[in-house]
Amino acid sequence: MIRTFAVTLTIPDNEAFTAYETLARLGIPVARVTRADVWQFEVDASERGLERTVASIETIHNPNKHRLTERDVHGPAPGEIWIAPLDDAPATTVAGRTLPGVRAVRRRTAWRLLDDTGRDVAPEHLDHAVETFLCNPAFQVALR
Amino acid sequence: MNPRVAVLVFPGTNSEDETVRALRAVRLDAELVHWSQPEALHGFEAFVLPGGFAYEDRIRAGAVAAHDALMDRVIDAAQDGKFVLGICNGAQILAEAGLVPGTGPLRRPTAAFAPNASGHYQSQHVFVRLAVAPERVPILGGIEPGEVIPAWASHGDGRLAAPAHELARIAAAHLAFVYCDRAGRPVDAHNGSALNCAGLVNADGNVLAIMPHPERDAWTFQHLDADPHAVRAGAAEALAPSGGIAFFECFARAVLAEAVI
Repeated sequence: MIRTFAVTLTIPDNEAFTAYETLARLGIPVARVTRADVWQFEVDASERGLERTVASIETIHNPNKHRLTERDVHGPAPGEIWIAPLDDAPATTVAGRTLPGVRAVRRRTAWRLLDDTGRDVAPEHLDHAVETFLCNPAFQVALR
Repeated sequence: MNPRVAVLVFPGTNSEDETVRALRAVRLDAELVHWSQPEALHGFEAFVLPGGFAYEDRIRAGAVAAHDALMDRVIDAAQDGKFVLGICNGAQILAEAGLVPGTGPLRRPTAAFAPNASGHYQSQHVFVRLAVAPERVPILGGIEPGEVIPAWASHGDGRLAAPAHELARIAAAHLAFVYCDRAGRPVDAHNGSALNCAGLVNADGNVLAIMPHPERDAWTFQHLDADPHAVRAGAAEALAPSGGIAFFECFARAVLAEAVI
């Protein structure tokens, strides 16, 4: 079974702001960019306590600046794009730690582009952002 | 008067001073040009993008800088045939800008210097060998066939990655440098780079991207086998240019030959 966690910053997200500035320079009508680190764990059905373990690994979650949320859906939300490695080879450890009951770990970056009304930008603008900036197809893939 | 060479500085660039020093040692008039002054990027004979972590490697190594206003002018200059050299982070920027291998549209990269196979930053001394015929790299005037250059690899994202068909094109015409030992024999790339790639060149041979830093092994005291006593004593031979400076001498020959002064 897969469990999916999203990690967002509770402090200003400099990377998202830099992405916003570059996308604006590229002419994409975006007013705000949000970003999340998405961690997916393939776990044994009997696994217990994963959330507490994940929350304790500072590489993933620093409680001073991150919010950790478990998601029920294991793919991009509507309007969201996930950038993943093209080969998508899973890791078996996180920060050198083997996690009990975890068989594989994958990491993605979730992006969401919002217009000045707070709605997701039109799909063609999201596609343009992915093709020109958010994804390098030489080693990454965009998941919708 | 020596040819003027612009050394570009983005927020997060960290090797600009060593690069300027190496360029000046080979009689080039190197000047820093910062990201905030694209209008100053005029009248240069060549351009060098040094190492570092431009824009903190946000989004991807080199991705943000590749879209910077400063790069608009560098891309124009490259298309006009000017020499453009990228070292480490500069190489990543050139790949993200589509200038190397240069097989697709500008700013639509067909290859990448992607995260190392180890998944982390690595720093180690390496040797790289010219993997194309010298006439394919006019940016390195007078370089010898198979010349070996010592350098320091210092990156977390130096693994050449590209689709199989693109790797075939790179292997045929764009693979400028490969990792090797001191004698020029191939060694496995420490970072898992496809084709053992340490550097890429575009079709015209005027844009070169190299991942390891020759400017960090360009003086005798920087060599792995440097005599520590001579270094501490400040002996003249320890302070002399050698090793990786050969790379910059070739670059300078090319720039001097093309320069309109």
